[in-house]
Amino acid sequence: MISIRLPFIGQCLALLLLLLICSWISLFSWSVITITPMDALHALYQMNAESIAQHIVHDLRLPRVLIGIMVGANLAAAGVIMQGLTQNPLASPSVLGINAGAALGMATVSSIAPWFGLLGTSVAAIIGGGIAWAFVMLLGSAWRGGNEHGRLVLAGVAISALCAALTKAVIIIAEDQAAGVLTWLAGSLTDARWQTFDSFWPVCVIGLLGAMLIAPTLNLLQLGDDNARNLGVSLMWVKLGGSFLVLLLVGSAISSVGAIGFVGLLVPHMARMLAGQDHRKFLPIAMMLGACLVVLSDTISRAIIYPAETPAGAILALIGAPFFIYLVRKRTL
Amino acid sequence: MSLSTHNLSVGYHDKAIVKQVDLTIPEGKIIALLGPNGCGKSTLLKAMARILSPMEGQVHWQGKNLHSIASKKLAQQLALLPQTQPIPEGIKVKDLVAYGRSPYTGFWGRINKDDQVIIDKMMEETGITELADQLVSELSGGQRQRVWLAMTLAQDTPYLLLDEPTTYMDLSHQVELMHLLRKLNLQGKTIITVLHDINQAARYCDHLIVMKQGEIITQGSPESVLTQKLLKKVFSLNAQIHQDPIAKTPMCVVE
Repeated sequence: MISIRLPFIGQCLALLLLLLICSWISLFSWSVITITPMDALHALYQMNAESIAQHIVHDLRLPRVLIGIMVGANLAAAGVIMQGLTQNPLASPSVLGINAGAALGMATVSSIAPWFGLLGTSVAAIIGGGIAWAFVMLLGSAWRGGNEHGRLVLAGVAISALCAALTKAVIIIAEDQAAGVLTWLAGSLTDARWQTFDSFWPVCVIGLLGAMLIAPTLNLLQLGDDNARNLGVSLMWVKLGGSFLVLLLVGSAISSVGAIGFVGLLVPHMARMLAGQDHRKFLPIAMMLGACLVVLSDTISRAIIYPAETPAGAILALIGAPFFIYLVRKRTL
Repeated sequence: MSLSTHNLSVGYHDKAIVKQVDLTIPEGKIIALLGPNGCGKSTLLKAMARILSPMEGQVHWQGKNLHSIASKKLAQQLALLPQTQPIPEGIKVKDLVAYGRSPYTGFWGRINKDDQVIIDKMMEETGITELADQLVSELSGGQRQRVWLAMTLAQDTPYLLLDEPTTYMDLSHQVELMHLLRKLNLQGKTIITVLHDINQAARYCDHLIVMKQGEIITQGSPESVLTQKLLKKVFSLNAQIHQDPIAKTPMCVVE
């Protein structure tokens, strides 16, 4: 790849440019009411209140793209932190049960107590994800150190399966909410509005800044627990703080758009291929890559059965699975 | 005075490996921890480097409980080279050695000129300068051991705790290492090392501490510690003690 030879700053600029282009395309493409590429730009700078197309861009497309960017960056950062904390290349929100736990929490609240509304389901998603993550860490004895890769992943798979089964049971019990829950489970940006954006961005900014702050410490964790402690890392605080960040990042993303998988697992590995093993470099790269990937998938999700929409999460899995197989074959894991 | 244990018991899974040890490390010397496999040398070393928490008793650093001192501060005083090391993927030798400076750098881990001078010096001392741009995962066992050693040395602490630093090294690198340890010792560092080779310990160290089944059997200068009776008692070995013809230190020959 050419980009491997680019210096770090070059990679950042290239990715930023790619992200801008993806976002721009996403703003005008695949709309029932024709939107020209220029409409998309005018809606940002000098909005023409008369134009329906520009209203669509401003009221629907723009928040959707922004939320897509934040969700991608959040999930990618969460994946990087989880892989760094557990020293496990398979660690990610979807593999280690956070997605399934959050889904269970969200499904339970929206089925049994729908009067809680949006805020209730977000909180439920974060709590559910947190409980699932804590269980996986305990069962996989991740706190004890050592590199028991298999055990942690097994625990994640088991907890995910349990949560999925319970989620299905909840859906069957409260059937009238089933459609909403199912869309949410697949992960879709269809309902992303300014309202979602407003409650999402502060958490997102805090989470991403926190991720950058923890990056140098994640570098030291690569040397093993003993060496990290020897170099002055206080492991307990790093693991607690890192887990908190993961919940913040994943919880806010999931409660905004649903359980989008694969970004957290794949993007950190793609970023490592581009920028090497230094977390201070590949973490920002991962954030931008994640953002590009989600925006791109969202655009494609509108195109596949146009004018209807498929969930972006499904598209991500379609792109993600083959790439994952490629990674396994290349043994970069 | 600086590093001491008080009624210290440490172990794994509620089983004490080191049992109620009282020990004061003599300052400014090269100290060897000796004993048969599983006697608790490494465990004691890890406890002194606060990698393991005591089950009972305390480790003191300058009169204060080790676990009450801020991690980063302590990392500027004590450095440990563990016995087994992970093989980090995709990390270059020079970057790994640079991580040794992290107790001194700001939180972002930026290496300044002074840090770079120390890193370069330690890489030269351990003979890995020409490996600088290679990946750690591509090196041989002995080379990798020297890279980890360089990282520990880059930590530039007055106390060095080394757990079998000669592992994987060929004989000439072992000898070089022991000379390097003496050189560092003459610069004022106290060095505590677990060694397997009794003769190497007797030749290059000032003070031997002999352990068996989690307890300290005896300690002192090589001349006073290394006796026929001790070798029989601790290692169940029938051996004679002779004088090393070159270094004039005691050396054991198995019968």
